[in-house]
Amino acid sequence: MNCESCKEKDAVVHLVDVSNNSKAELHLCKDCAESQGATIKSHMQKSNSPKVATDELPAIFQNLPGVSAASETETCGQCGTTYRQFRSSGKFGCPECYASFNVKVSDLLEKIHGRCEHRGKVPSNASEQVNQQKELQALYAELDSAVSGEDYERAAELRDEIQRHQEGSPGL
Amino acid sequence: MELSDLQASPGEWLGGTGPEADIVISSRIRLARNLAGYPFFSTADEQQLGELERMVRERLLNTCVSEGMGYFSMQTMPMLDRQFLVERHLISREHAFGKGARGVGLALDETVSIMVNEEDHLRIQGLCSGLQLREAWERVDAEDTRLESCLEFAFSAQFGYLTVCPTNAGTGLRASVMLHLPALVMTRQIDKVFQAVSKIGLIVRGLYGEGTQASGDFYQISNQSTLGKSETDIIETIEKVIPKIIEYEKTVRNNLMQQKHEVLEDKVWRAYGQLKHARMIASEETMEYLSSVRMGVSLGIIQEVKMDVINELFLFTQPAHLQKQNEIQLDETERDVVRASYIRKRLQGSD
Ligand SMILES: [Zn+2]
Ligand SMILES: [Zn+2]
Repeated sequence: MNCESCKEKDAVVHLVDVSNNSKAELHLCKDCAESQGATIKSHMQKSNSPKVATDELPAIFQNLPGVSAASETETCGQCGTTYRQFRSSGKFGCPECYASFNVKVSDLLEKIHGRCEHRGKVPSNASEQVNQQKELQALYAELDSAVSGEDYERAAELRDEIQRHQEGSPGL
Repeated sequence: MELSDLQASPGEWLGGTGPEADIVISSRIRLARNLAGYPFFSTADEQQLGELERMVRERLLNTCVSEGMGYFSMQTMPMLDRQFLVERHLISREHAFGKGARGVGLALDETVSIMVNEEDHLRIQGLCSGLQLREAWERVDAEDTRLESCLEFAFSAQFGYLTVCPTNAGTGLRASVMLHLPALVMTRQIDKVFQAVSKIGLIVRGLYGEGTQASGDFYQISNQSTLGKSETDIIETIEKVIPKIIEYEKTVRNNLMQQKHEVLEDKVWRAYGQLKHARMIASEETMEYLSSVRMGVSLGIIQEVKMDVINELFLFTQPAHLQKQNEIQLDETERDVVRASYIRKRLQGSD
């Protein structure tokens, strides 16, 4: 979908006005959304029902904790995407980008999702390494809750088990 | 399977048969998946996208999907058919008209669709009527498991499924429930739903009608965060809140029935009158009147029309559906005439 303002770039910001008598939707590219920020804001203030920005990413990126100029030029070795490019588009270039920008990605994911550790489905053909790491994470999580529940006996057991896991897989 | 096989019936999700169907239109689960070893859609060039689409199509058709699934490439599909699939909620608008090699795998009963080269390499969607998030998840989960037997997904133990946009990372799961809430809109209490729902980390958005306008009485509730919780936990959060919203809408409807009976009846019957007698009617107007009539049918104010007729009208009066039924291209004015006559015909004899 093209930007409704410049009709050129891809629209990435989608604003939906869902007030009762006036319904409007606006699709803008990032640049136009920024330059029209004031307009959008004033348009939104006219009505008192809530507006839903269906893609709130750009706002999240603008509020990222201070990133130094040097790290802005960090580049993913696999696809050549720079961190700066990622920040402006909100899109990664390849799966490796997650590892290339690992620390910053953790912070960002935590900001977006409130957490940064996967707890869901694991592909059945995930590599042995991924599976072991998954088990290890589950053990760490259990250890956390054992410690916070002051169950030190269980915590000690878990610590031993974690150690056995780590010895068993020197690759990690 | 041919696209025309879909045309005659409205699809399982609009059947109006699911639980809580008077208020809950449909339940949808979407999974985002990318293939390991390929650049994302955002950086892949035309050739890479073409190769990926060909490879996925081959595997989809030969080995790894459930029986009876058809596959269609977007580039060779006529514009009208693409719009038709958008109206069916089987593909996104971006997918229908975006650039690059794209395709879609479709189950004949329309409960599952697999978009290839949408924002992510694969978007697997399950759609069920009424409040059936679990059922939609089971369909999608099974399809995903079948797919992973022949495709390697980009996955990390730490971040889960790796997606183009970090807002989808982890489970890659977006669960949405579409609700019809005319009484809450009418009494301006819908804002309270917005506030309550956003407090527990869910998003509300309006449903898109034709073109770019969101149409008033339909709202979709979905999860915002996709990482750090299991798929079933995400679904449970939504499942828990929906009955409260249903209850709220029902209470407001009953209050209206008791305290503002005339106002409510007038709104419903006027809408019905417009639909039964109009000679030209636009898509937006149709949605608005159908919404009031739908509430009227559900409250027993109108008894001569069945709910499934109203549900079908929502779908069959949209531009691509009208044009496919009539097998001709129609401009906007022609569509308004044809739409009005189609609606009159469907509501006929119910006086
Ligand atoms: Zn623009
Ligand atoms: Zn990369």
